[in-house]
Amino acid sequence: MPADSRSLVLQSCRHCGAGAPAEAHFCPQCERILSVARHGDYFTFFGLPRKLTIDLGDLERRFRDLSRRFHPDYFYNASPAERLASLERSSYLNDAYRVLRQPIDRVEYLLKLEGLAPAGRQQAGADASRLEPGLLEEVFELNEELDAIHRARAAGAPADEVSRRLEAAARPIEARAAQQEERLAALMARWDELMEEAGPAPRPVAEEGGSSARRQTLEALRTLLDERSYVENLLQLLARERGELHP
Amino acid sequence: MTMSYSDKVLEHYNNPRNVGSLPKDDVTVGTGLVGAPECGDVMKLQVKVDPETGVIADAKFKTFGCGSAIASSSLATEWLKGKTLDQALEIKNVDIVNELSLPPVKIHCSVLAEDAIKAAIADYKRKQAEAEQGHDNGTAPAGGGTAAAGVR
Repeated sequence: MPADSRSLVLQSCRHCGAGAPAEAHFCPQCERILSVARHGDYFTFFGLPRKLTIDLGDLERRFRDLSRRFHPDYFYNASPAERLASLERSSYLNDAYRVLRQPIDRVEYLLKLEGLAPAGRQQAGADASRLEPGLLEEVFELNEELDAIHRARAAGAPADEVSRRLEAAARPIEARAAQQEERLAALMARWDELMEEAGPAPRPVAEEGGSSARRQTLEALRTLLDERSYVENLLQLLARERGELHP
Repeated sequence: MTMSYSDKVLEHYNNPRNVGSLPKDDVTVGTGLVGAPECGDVMKLQVKVDPETGVIADAKFKTFGCGSAIASSSLATEWLKGKTLDQALEIKNVDIVNELSLPPVKIHCSVLAEDAIKAAIADYKRKQAEAEQGHDNGTAPAGGGTAAAGVR
């Protein structure tokens, strides 16, 4: 696929054969609903640029508007092809909304769209060392501490003592989590800036070299998602312990 | 339907072998600490090696993760004891998958255990090389960290 084809991918109307731009949902000529194009993506579907900062209120308005326009009830008397297209578009719309609404899912989807390996894949030794130095050690120690607190509580240690110990463990975990959220926001903003600079329809990041700023930004995002999953586990354990302490 | 664990996984999960820690600053101890980003699991595996024979005298693990990750590391420590370092490096994740009948979604747990073995042995070798360089009286050098995931 040529580099600039993304914006030019035309869908064609199965009914009248007219071409339509990638972001169109209805044929510009005969106004019938189009079947879902094979080369589409969630951003284009919503009429949004391929950026990571999304106004959730705006996204929801677009979702509601499109949901209404694709609703199968409106196609009850239409041809089988149009009924199928309305189901396909409704289903694609729901998938797209679910993914774009969540920042982490959005980033993972972008990685895939740009042709990079997903986060969370077991990395070979060289890649694993890209994690922030000391992170695994700290995560391991905090897991040990939460485990010890769990055992102490189960063994009947006084609640205020368990609570003090739990809150002491919570501080570094929550500090890590807050710091990761900040880095996530900064990297997302950086990607958006780079997309502004890149102009319309830049080539997929996977085709760019290791020195490309867009590539480095996406790879940093991927590493961050990996780091985040360790801290996410700790946050869940912490919530569970707090829940058992203050039911 | 909920995923069911094989009997062998449950057996190791309920009666994990060799849980615990070895002194990580001991020059005859190698420590591997690895993580699986897909699930946030972390695994520490340690070997104590007889420097004369190069045979693994003891192995310990501590894993924070799912039943399959715990069973994989428990099994790995059982297999490690009595093996030479070269034999230990021949343990592959597929051996663990087969022994525990791990389903495809849990294969990464076995990969984690294999990585932990490699990291622990690499850490041991690094410490031994440092000890040989720095000393001729056989005492341990100060410090000695933990090898991060993977083999340097």
